[in-house]
Amino acid sequence: MKMYEIMMFTGGVYKFNELKEVVEDIGGFVLQEMVMQSETMMHLAFPVEEEPRIRAKAKELGGKLKELPLAGAEIMVVVPSLGKHHAVDPMCDVAEFLRRNGAITNMIGLARGVGKRIAQMTAREKAIIEECDAAVFVFGNFKECLTEKAARLCSGLEVPYLIVGGPPESDLAESDLAESDLGLDLENYVGGVGRRAERMRRKSEIELLEKMVEALKEVLDEKKRELEEDPLAASPLFVKEMIEMNLPPKAGEELPIVIHLDGLRVKVGQEDEERVLEIEIGKRRLSEICEMKESLYSGHLLKVLPEAVTGSVF
Amino acid sequence: MEVKVEGGDEFANASYEKLCNLICRDIGVKGNIDRLQMFCNAAEHIFILSVKIGRVGSPVKVRDVTQREGKKLRITNEKYAPELLALLWDKYGKGKEEGVEEGVEEGVEEEEGDGERGGERVRQISRLEVGFELKEEEVAELMELVVSDPRDDLTFKILDGIDRILPEGARVRHPVSTAHGVTILASENPIKEEWRATAEKIAQEMEGVNENV
Repeated sequence: MKMYEIMMFTGGVYKFNELKEVVEDIGGFVLQEMVMQSETMMHLAFPVEEEPRIRAKAKELGGKLKELPLAGAEIMVVVPSLGKHHAVDPMCDVAEFLRRNGAITNMIGLARGVGKRIAQMTAREKAIIEECDAAVFVFGNFKECLTEKAARLCSGLEVPYLIVGGPPESDLAESDLAESDLGLDLENYVGGVGRRAERMRRKSEIELLEKMVEALKEVLDEKKRELEEDPLAASPLFVKEMIEMNLPPKAGEELPIVIHLDGLRVKVGQEDEERVLEIEIGKRRLSEICEMKESLYSGHLLKVLPEAVTGSVF
Repeated sequence: MEVKVEGGDEFANASYEKLCNLICRDIGVKGNIDRLQMFCNAAEHIFILSVKIGRVGSPVKVRDVTQREGKKLRITNEKYAPELLALLWDKYGKGKEEGVEEGVEEGVEEEEGDGERGGERVRQISRLEVGFELKEEEVAELMELVVSDPRDDLTFKILDGIDRILPEGARVRHPVSTAHGVTILASENPIKEEWRATAEKIAQEMEGVNENV
């Protein structure tokens, strides 16, 4: 069963502290908070059953609550290269839309990802992509290139992925190739985007991006269901809160702790590495319920072990 | 600019047509291209892009961007001021600022000056005023000097545009140049003779279309 609901509150600064207090009273967390003059934006996580209480408070304050279908996940946007052919459009539109829906995004341009026959991904690139909860591949216009690239670059990944490409889904479904030869699973594919040289701002283009978010949500939901069947020893949201209590974030540090579906990315220096592992979560230490390893590009990765392995923390 | 893309499926053709238009607009050569034709064969990874260059702006001369006021020139189009000053200083020498002793710098300037330079006879009086000490026949010659020729960087811009349009993986190139344009054949594989012939045929066809126009 889903434990926490993550939503975004936007509204005025008037009495918004009261909402924060309500969230803390019911055992929830404030994941992100941004105050811009008289406007405020917060990402809130709270127990699912308390949603009516939060909605009532938000209404009282005259603010808005928006569901964040991708919240709690770090997503890698992968493009064949960082050259002008792929950046900034459409990769930034894709990443921006994922962020608007709650995800934390990273971008990677492959060293040798361009072309059809010559496209490849290094083991290190694959490992970096697999550090995230899911990946979104942004490919081009040609059916032939797309299917070959999908088979070569995406099929070996151990994390869920979505392919955003040019040819519409119906074109691929009607193609002469059988699905096994197609190189991609049409359920993980959103078409109609392809190469772009301008921002996606028209209604039809926004609808395509919404469709992409919906498809990615389904991909992530499957991973979430698997985690619910074998629950973690502690929620990453709770672990984040405990780390922040023990190691307050340094001034100017941006997103020092990023939540994953099954763990966290913690950006701490080597001097604090041991201190993080000593933090108490319930009756256990973090080192007993987590596996820690250094990330290949930023901070350390904490993977929370299932409760079945560690036993209860309380 | 007329754009035609063929060889790919419906989506790819429409998308590349849009890309060609947007990229040419971005780099500012849309008005200089008469026709752009692209042929795609994604299965064999062959892309042929043919461009027919159309009208190019005529060279901008000194008289087009300045107005003569006795022994002074008033710059009427400031956009060309840096190029104009560079041209005049290079040809007639940079005048000394007021207060600088002439005798001290003269020798140095003479050593640096090339054959065409006749001393320091042009100086910038203010932002838009250029003073000169030239004979009347020299002034007539000066007014006909070319400040900027749009054709100079057009080739560079068009080649940059072609590079942006062609897929990034297609790095093996075979250029075919004709009197009024350029055709580039690109692929990620070694290019076969039959495709070279196709590219040349497309280049000739483009040339023919232009002649008829």
